[in-house]
Amino acid sequence: MTGGAMTGGAATARRQQAGWQRVLKRFTGDRAAFLGASLILTLVLVAIFAPVLSPFPGDVSEFHTAQRLRPPDAVNWLGTDRMGSDLLSRILFGARITITIAVIAVGTAVLVGVPIGLVAGYYVGWPSNLLMRVSDIFLAVPQIVLAIAIAQTLGPSIENVILALSITYWPFWARLVYAETRSVKNEVFVESAIALGASAPRVMILHILPNIASAIIVRTSIGMGATILTAAALGFLGLGAPPPAPEWGRMIAESREFLPEAWWYATAPGIAIFLVVMGFNLLGDGLRDILDPRIRRAVGRSE
Amino acid sequence: MRRLEMVLSRLAWFVPTMAGLIVIVFLISNVIPTDPVRIMAGENATQEQVEALRVKLGYDKPLAVQLLRHFQDVLSGNLGTSIYTQRPISEDLFKRLPATLELSIAAITVAILLGIPLGVVSALKRNAWIDQVLRVLSVSGLAFAAFWLAMELQFLFSMTLRIAPLNGRISGFGPDPVTGFMTIDSLIQGDWESLRSALAHLCLPALTLALPAAATIVRFSRAGVLEVINSNHVLYQRAMGIPSRLIVWKYVLRNALISTVTQIGLIFGVLLTNAVVVETVFDWPGLGSFAVQSILQSDHKAIIGFTIWTGGLIVAINLLVDIAHSLIDPRGAR
Repeated sequence: MTGGAMTGGAATARRQQAGWQRVLKRFTGDRAAFLGASLILTLVLVAIFAPVLSPFPGDVSEFHTAQRLRPPDAVNWLGTDRMGSDLLSRILFGARITITIAVIAVGTAVLVGVPIGLVAGYYVGWPSNLLMRVSDIFLAVPQIVLAIAIAQTLGPSIENVILALSITYWPFWARLVYAETRSVKNEVFVESAIALGASAPRVMILHILPNIASAIIVRTSIGMGATILTAAALGFLGLGAPPPAPEWGRMIAESREFLPEAWWYATAPGIAIFLVVMGFNLLGDGLRDILDPRIRRAVGRSE
Repeated sequence: MRRLEMVLSRLAWFVPTMAGLIVIVFLISNVIPTDPVRIMAGENATQEQVEALRVKLGYDKPLAVQLLRHFQDVLSGNLGTSIYTQRPISEDLFKRLPATLELSIAAITVAILLGIPLGVVSALKRNAWIDQVLRVLSVSGLAFAAFWLAMELQFLFSMTLRIAPLNGRISGFGPDPVTGFMTIDSLIQGDWESLRSALAHLCLPALTLALPAAATIVRFSRAGVLEVINSNHVLYQRAMGIPSRLIVWKYVLRNALISTVTQIGLIFGVLLTNAVVVETVFDWPGLGSFAVQSILQSDHKAIIGFTIWTGGLIVAINLLVDIAHSLIDPRGAR
């Protein structure tokens, strides 16, 4: 290694740092992304501090049938449910279930799908084609349909919801990363890295992955929102965490028979789901504008 | 000739895709470390009873043999008998298909009528206040839990304002079934009272399904229009002095439409996803509510049947969209 190469490396590092500062600046400037990130941060803080924040932490498992179906008042800010439990406390604790399912399910799908897509995109041949055909078949069916089939076979529990969502979600990541890898693979910098004798794993991890990372990050944020909706639907159908777990989707299902009298019962968990999903969608949308250089250029040209 | 070839090759893909789907659904229900026979036999069954049921159902055979039999069954349309209705599952699914199709077509129509104009306006007034408002609305449109939106619409329009029916497809007996589409059947028979009732019952479920779909369409048509507006051929037309309005109506709109049509398959997938829960809330007797009833009954075979049918429906729609697209857009033929 010569001094020239090292200064070149240092210059790249400086450029990268400047790039990240630019991203950070855009981020705080983008109202949508900022609002999204704030909503998600709130969700995480609520999940962590649920026992402190809840007015009645015991109501996750305790019933007070004498106080059932009370409308919102000074004691129960969001009213009580059919068991007389405080809805606000249950919703705050429900944040834990929501975030656990979303993080583990999406995390697993990404960890499985991204390497598969990367390898299949890098090598040309029948194994790649076969992998992509398999993921195409998965993608042909709405995720919730396969997830229902799996979750029903396994029985209702949080672990099974996570498993069902991961099994049905990895093909999406494989497909995405495959397409991105194929388009980056023919760029000059990848060809020159190969020409310089870089090994295949090195090219994939150090040269291709960083260049498709922004697409993965953007889709992860939007995917978290979509996964929370699917998990809520599974909960609504009775395939999620068994009672008395304060799962938002199940709470809405339980509230159905008390409409229209107990209007607050369905409203509160529904708004909780909406705010969290909105947070991830806004963040994903904002990050797309910030991170994707193609869109940035297109917007720059048109304005 | 090349187009015909292309259409044929797409058609040829239908077979392996469906075969793959059948295999995957089979594997999911068999490789997962639970014993379907145990579940079917019920919690109180003795070990001998479970084993007897296993032999009876053919679950004692090797996996490959089971898969082969599963294939034979699916291809001959025999999906087993529903625990819930005690009728053949294929028959149940076939009976319920028109209800889901009618609802989805109504929803997609509403979504397109809402989504494309709003997307075009959003693109033409880029970054103006209306674009900002539509951006927020289209992001929120995708953030609702569909079943919750369904319940809130019921609460507002059926229970409080009492201007829409609460649930079901029609009041009374409805027209004699011909196509299974309530609206078409009442039209054919000139039964205006039934038609009015069928349309009224369609309103809320169709609206619930249409809102997220419309949000998706707004985004695609906005992007489609922006791409065309910034393209060289529109720049050229502007330079030649062709009036903006003519450019928008003649070139930009057509392209926005094409970019939406190519996404219909995807939008239909979102729609069916939501239909599963929305049909349940509205007691709509379609495929989705069948799936939910089967879940509640732990009716394993019925769920497999539903998965294969829904998958087939989506694959077929994507196929039609691909073919239509290759016929409309010469670039697609490659």
